[in-house]
Amino acid sequence: MTKDADNRSAAPPISGGAIPEASNIARAPSRPATDRVYERSAHDLHAAAGLIALSVLLDSAVEHYRGSYHNKAMFTPLVTATITLTATAHGLRAPAGLGHAGRRGIFVLAVATGAVGTGFHVYDILAKPGGISWQNLFYAAPLGAPSALIVSGLAGFLAEHIRATPPDESARVFGHSVSRSAALGSALALVGTSAEAALLHFRGAFQNPAMFFPVTLPPVAAGLLGFAGLRPAVGAYPVTQACLTATAAIGLAGTGFHAYGVARAMGGWRNWHQNLLDGPPIPTPPSFAALALAGRAALRLLAHDASRAGHTPARAVPP
Amino acid sequence: MSRLRLTIKGPAESGGLIAINGSTPMDNIDPRSLYPDYDVLAKRTSLSWNDATRRVIDARLAVPREPRFFSGEQWATLVAVCRRILPQPADRPEVPIAALLDNLLRTDDTQGFRVDPLPYDGPAWKQGLVALEAEARAAYHAAFPALSERVQDALLKEAQAGRLHHPAWAPMTAALFFKHRILTDIPALYYAHPTSWSEIGFGGPAGPRGYVRMGLNRRDPWEAREVGATSQAPARALTRHAR
Amino acid sequence: MRCHADTDTVDFVIVGTGAGGGTLAARLAEQGFSVVALDAGPFFRPLLDFASDETAQNQLFWTDKRVSSGTNPIKMGGNNSGKAVGGSTVHFAMVSLRFRPEWFKSRSILGYGADWPLDWAEMWHYYSMAEQALAIAGPIHYPWGPKRPRYPYRAHELNAAAKLLARGCEALGYRWSETPLATVSAPRGKSPPCVYRGFCRFGCSTNAKQSALTVWIPRALKAGAEIRDLAMAGRIDVDHQGCATGVHYVREGQWRFQNARNVIVCGYAIETPRLLLNSETACFPDGLANSSGLVGRYLMTQANQAAWGRMEDEVRWYKGPPSLALTEHWNYEDRGKDFFGGYCWMGQGPLPIEWVSVQTSARGLWGPALRTEMMDYNHQIGVKMVGEMLPNEDNRVTLDDDTDQYGLPIPRITYEWSENDKRLINHALNQMTMSLAAIGATRIFPQDDDTNHLAGTARMGFNRETSVVNSDCRSWDIPNLWICDGSVFPTTGGVNPALTIQALALRTADRIKHLAARREL
Ligand SMILES: Cc1cc2nc3c(=O)[nH]c(=O)nc-3n(C[C@H](O)[C@H](O)[C@H](O)COP(=O)(O)OP(=O)(O)OC[C@H]3O[C@@H](n4cnc5c(N)ncnc54)[C@H](O)[C@@H]3O)c2cc1C
Ligand code: SF4
Repeated sequence: MTKDADNRSAAPPISGGAIPEASNIARAPSRPATDRVYERSAHDLHAAAGLIALSVLLDSAVEHYRGSYHNKAMFTPLVTATITLTATAHGLRAPAGLGHAGRRGIFVLAVATGAVGTGFHVYDILAKPGGISWQNLFYAAPLGAPSALIVSGLAGFLAEHIRATPPDESARVFGHSVSRSAALGSALALVGTSAEAALLHFRGAFQNPAMFFPVTLPPVAAGLLGFAGLRPAVGAYPVTQACLTATAAIGLAGTGFHAYGVARAMGGWRNWHQNLLDGPPIPTPPSFAALALAGRAALRLLAHDASRAGHTPARAVPP
Repeated sequence: MSRLRLTIKGPAESGGLIAINGSTPMDNIDPRSLYPDYDVLAKRTSLSWNDATRRVIDARLAVPREPRFFSGEQWATLVAVCRRILPQPADRPEVPIAALLDNLLRTDDTQGFRVDPLPYDGPAWKQGLVALEAEARAAYHAAFPALSERVQDALLKEAQAGRLHHPAWAPMTAALFFKHRILTDIPALYYAHPTSWSEIGFGGPAGPRGYVRMGLNRRDPWEAREVGATSQAPARALTRHAR
Repeated sequence: MRCHADTDTVDFVIVGTGAGGGTLAARLAEQGFSVVALDAGPFFRPLLDFASDETAQNQLFWTDKRVSSGTNPIKMGGNNSGKAVGGSTVHFAMVSLRFRPEWFKSRSILGYGADWPLDWAEMWHYYSMAEQALAIAGPIHYPWGPKRPRYPYRAHELNAAAKLLARGCEALGYRWSETPLATVSAPRGKSPPCVYRGFCRFGCSTNAKQSALTVWIPRALKAGAEIRDLAMAGRIDVDHQGCATGVHYVREGQWRFQNARNVIVCGYAIETPRLLLNSETACFPDGLANSSGLVGRYLMTQANQAAWGRMEDEVRWYKGPPSLALTEHWNYEDRGKDFFGGYCWMGQGPLPIEWVSVQTSARGLWGPALRTEMMDYNHQIGVKMVGEMLPNEDNRVTLDDDTDQYGLPIPRITYEWSENDKRLINHALNQMTMSLAAIGATRIFPQDDDTNHLAGTARMGFNRETSVVNSDCRSWDIPNLWICDGSVFPTTGGVNPALTIQALALRTADRIKHLAARREL
């Protein structure tokens, strides 16, 4: 059973090239032995944090360009997202322990920036005629966008925690199990992202049936993931895993759909000046893939918990 | 329900402005563009223009400058009237208003209807210019174009106020001709020309590319940048990119 | 496109392909009738044919000879009607509003005008159908009137002018709303979303606008109707039994005759009565369908006055559809009025030529004063009303002695505002001025002379003595002659008419189907 579960979790995660990299690092003689599952989960969470930071960077660059950077604070998410992206890249490659504290600080900064950004966006909505109205939810500063930075920061933060956990200890954050936190956090973030997609696809009148995918499948995956996080850990989550994989696929396909949306607007890609800004946002759908990656990391950790609860000794990395 | 009663028409000396929140009359008679370096034609080859637009604007800019509809004398009067109704900026290409009007009437590209008792646009214009000329000769013994600008203005003001009654106007009146022809057609032709669009900072033709930034005090990079209180230097740099 | 010979006796020949005729052509063809729809104007391809230019797009308007007279002559041309396949909807401003329910019974409930022989609840159903067909982009909750289904597309982003209108309304304590508009906020079929280029009133060169040209005409063609453009109808023929037999029309310089079992006239409030009057015969010496003597009478336009002012901020109102926000407060509030009827006001975005015409007509400016004033173009703000004018028998369309390029007698239009109209306008100017004052606008001035939209001249009613058509838009006098456009309105309400015309056409198509099933055509 456990073996089986391990095999499953060894299925290549979405960000393809990352696996051999991780095992290379794991094999590096200079490194202290770490738990293989921790190693991979931390890796995936870093990757997820990085992908979200990248999406925030591109999306806020475009959206704040649209807002003409009329407030200097509008550069903040660009800066923070870039730093976060760098930290995740570093975290993916650096030996465990190296730069850990620095990266942790950066991820905390990302969370804080996201929170302040959300505040700004709420203020922007309230200051407009109509206040909290559909018009402003649709067209004023989007409420969900800055929270992506929070999610990115949290994922990175968890990754740091996991990496810093010795193989024989169970990873905990603020007294809670990391596996559960990761599962519930990813589930929540998926729901939030889905809600944002729902709002914007509603704005688009669901004119294309494909627009229903990101508002139906990810919430199911999130539900299953949340459920897994709340219940005692078990050895395998095949359905949840499959749903997360599908969510990731939607995220990647979404980018394609959005690119098609830009092409379909008046003037198409030739009119990118307008259509990249007014058309469907190309950088946002990959967030689904990132969150699916984080969710899968959480499942792997949960399965790991289950195997420990079954007193299966934590296995060393196979040579 | 209306908590406040207002005089619906502002006094004539304020040009019809209502006295709330401030209504200084425009005695600053020195029309200054807020967009000195903006040229809407810089966008001609951009996505803001389509082929149909390029065709019609090119034709407008190339309109023949000599009369084909009006007689020589009518043309001279018309040119003088246009100068008084819409004095043109020195630093931009001139709008050939008289030529545009001549072309429009020759091709009868008008709104089609007439308001009783005015004749249709073409005949109304011919008759009106003849009548104005007759008024000039009757009052000053000189052709309208030969009068000083001040006297020309005075005569046009009399026409606007309906105080000119030469039989040559019949069945029109000077006031109707002034309102429906002079004050309708001449401004419409001036503001149909890129020179005026640049001057007032209008975005000009827009299609297939329209606009993205719709909010207060926001503009797209392809719109004119206002040189208001800010210094001129950065605007110069920026409006050149309005293309 | 399916084509018919003139000698084919088609089920329906429709004159005019605008809001009324375009809708009918689609619905009747979809029901399996053979349809030929004539339009005097050309069949434009917006992507290729439309320039972004106020002047050149004069090609869309009805600019044939007309005479306007009376104490308050109506401005014709671009201000009033189109000549193109798609009719006036090709250049309309896309504002798509429903009547207030009481207006269908304004005589019995509100004490003025005339009742419609229609039930508002039934019209509510057809309004929904029209809104779905046109993919109207509107607010989630419309603040006035009975509940209506959600608009198919979401409202557009407000431009600065619309936000300022909203501020003004909030300051006066009135509700405001995003305007339901017939231009898509997301892709739909071949229509890309609106790019906010602001030339809507001069034709939409992107096809985002959901006009008869982009919605009904393609549906009509798909269902097998023939659209014959550049075909000017000059006369409807009637046989000795008093039934219409078809339409004489001129195309490519030649007069031709299309045989038909039914004729539907949809030429709008000037051309419809003109065609009926021009078709007089020995049996019908006063023109067709005119035993009541009311063809051409009760012409109505709508008050279109405005208040304008200047903001310190840059507004740049040329961006986006001009009327993105509105308030219908005074359509639904009856207290505090010294007049009958209602009005709404909406945001504005006049392009330079229209704007200079406001400065010259409302203020009489010229010379340096005019150019100085025009320099503030990007700081200008304004709100414009659409107000109900009351039906008056003496406001009318008659035939003039003069003829047009086809040799047909031209219409003479006579109009005078009533005392009630003037009180309504005065009230609205007050209110609009206050709304501008409340947001800190300076240099405010009223524009008191504009009108827009037409209605009446072939009114529908309860009997043949007091109306031209019945509730099915069928003429009382000639059973196979129908009239279905803005001219059948008994009253015009305080909202723009095109959605009501389309709802009416949808109902008429259903009624025709029903009558045909009962062999009562
Ligand atoms: C500038 C402007 C803006 C407007 N904005 C709005 C708006 O925002 N919202 C709104 O609801 N309404 C608006 N309207 C009004 C609206 O467009 C009209 O009320 C509506 O289109 C009228 O529909 P109709 O079917 O009666 O006539 P039309 O749509 O005008 O169609 C009549 C058609 O009949 C053709 N025709 C006429 N006579 C003949 C003949 N003898 N032979 C052959 N063909 C003939 C004409 O060419 C024309 O195509 C606007 C109008 C204008 C002018
Ligand atoms: S603003 Fe929108 S509806 Fe109007 S012309 Fe432009 S694209 Fe068409």
